[in-house]
Formats: sequence, C-alpha cells, structure tokens
Amino acid sequence: MTVKVFALSTCPHCKRARAFLDESGIDYDVSEVDLMTGAERDEAIDEVRSLTGGTSFPVIIIDGQVVVGFNQSRLEELLGL
Amino acid sequence: MSSEGRDHVQRRFAPGTTIEDLKEYMVPFVAELGYKLNTDIAFADEVLASEIAILDATGDVYCPCRLRTGNAREDARIVCPCIPFNARQFAAMRKCWCGLFVRSDVEDGTALMGIVNEPEPGVAVDVPVCSAASIASSQVRRVFVDAREYALARIGDDFFAIGNICAHAFGPLADGPLDGDEVMCPRHGWRYNVRTGETGHPDANVRTYPAFARDGLVFITV
Repeated sequence: MTVKVFALSTCPHCKRARAFLDESGIDYDVSEVDLMTGAERDEAIDEVRSLTGGTSFPVIIIDGQVVVGFNQSRLEELLGL
Repeated sequence: MSSEGRDHVQRRFAPGTTIEDLKEYMVPFVAELGYKLNTDIAFADEVLASEIAILDATGDVYCPCRLRTGNAREDARIVCPCIPFNARQFAAMRKCWCGLFVRSDVEDGTALMGIVNEPEPGVAVDVPVCSAASIASSQVRRVFVDAREYALARIGDDFFAIGNICAHAFGPLADGPLDGDEVMCPRHGWRYNVRTGETGHPDANVRTYPAFARDGLVFITV
C-alpha cells in the first residue's frame, strides 16, 4: 500500500491526520507544501490542484484514492483498519 | 514568490496581535453571517495560534489549512474569516473549511471535524446571508452568496430575494427604494416586483430565490 500526504505546517487537521497515521502504524510519504520552495513547490501545488481542483489540505492519497481533509472514517475504510 | 506575497498585503493588525484580539474582531463579523466560534475552544485556539504565526510571517490572517499561492486575488479569498467567498459550501458543511467557525445552531463542533463535502451538484442550499435585524420592513439591501449579489427585500416579516442587477442598465436594485411590492431601480426607475421578479418591460424579469428568516437570520436558497 502506498500512502502519500500533502500537508501544510500550519494546519491543525494535517497534524491530526499525521498523528492518526502514525498511531495506526502506517508508513507514508509527506510533503509540507508551504515549507517547499522553487520548482519542487510548484510541482507539488500542480499535483494537489490536479488531484483535488483546489489547494486545501490535508490531501491524502491511498493507492490512488484521494481524501481531502482529515476524514478519519474514510481513511480507516481505505486503509482497512 | 513569498516576498511578492508579502508586498501586496496592507497590514491590518498591529504587531503583537493576540488570539483574543482576533476573536474580538472575528466573532461579531461571523455572527452576522450566521456562524460562531467552534464549541471546541481548545481547537479554535489552536487554529487561531496558527493564524497568528501566519500573520507574523505574512501580514494577514490567512487560513492555516489552505495554501497561499502568491496570486493576490486567489490569496484574498482565503483571508480569515473566508465565509463570504465560500458561503454556499460552508452552509452545506455547517462549518468553515478548517472548522474555526461553525453555524450558529451547531451544538457540538467536534462532531463536524473532517467534513469537507461540496454541495451536491444541482441541489439548492439554504445559505444565511445576514441578520434579520439588519433590514427593516419596507427596505431592500444587498446580500452576497459567494461572488453573486442579490437584492433582499423585507415586507413585514416576509423576505424576498431577487437578482440584484436591473436588466436595463445593470443598476443595483438593492440601492433603490421599495414601493409596496416593487423595488425601483436607482438608475432609470424600472420597477420590479420583489415577490415575482416581474417588471413591466418585456423579457427583462429578474430571477427570484426563496428567502426566509429563522433564529434571527435571513436565509436565501440558492
């Protein structure tokens, strides 16, 4: 299972989502988009826009399924928890 | 990009602005839109602490859960409280994006965490637009839902919403006087019935929208 998180360092829901993944023992890759710079940042923004149509966080991708916001029950469903 | 983002902001808050200062400014503002601070005060304070950090870094209180892109127009839409730019979606979610604010009739703000749905396409939403006390009987005022504007009329305790733009020369109907059931455009005097949207001029009617008052707030259904 591949789990990717796009987050903002300032966002309480991003912190909660990451804490939930940590507590659930899920390995994931995280990008804190507001702390990125240059081309890396632009690429991350483009990816978030193309996945969600906006720039709202967190964005969590579980094997290609996109969840916007910290929707714990949806995450549990997709992670099989 | 970040320096550009900072340059276009005219700072509205003095250095040293606190969480309590933000509450004092924001709570009356959102009350008029039908919202209150999240009942989970510890969570609300966490969001506001993030906003203070963003204020110190950028000069304004941007939503901590949405990204500033450096595009001034886009970024203006995520200045907290961002309810006016997202009124329809937030009315459907019963909270703002981050949950700092919840609709005034929400008893448990914690239960709404994680809900970020868009309204179903084609489904009308009851959107709070102003307090009932902000409009006296026999008056018209302008209200907004997202970027659209409406003329809201009050006749006794009944409310009527129509499109705000006169079909003749785009006059703002909400700026005209109400005469009985008719609002008169301030530009050239075309008259529209606020109950039906009808005018005496051919092919020039404006749309009507259901409007009603509940718990001291006026809602329009859009």
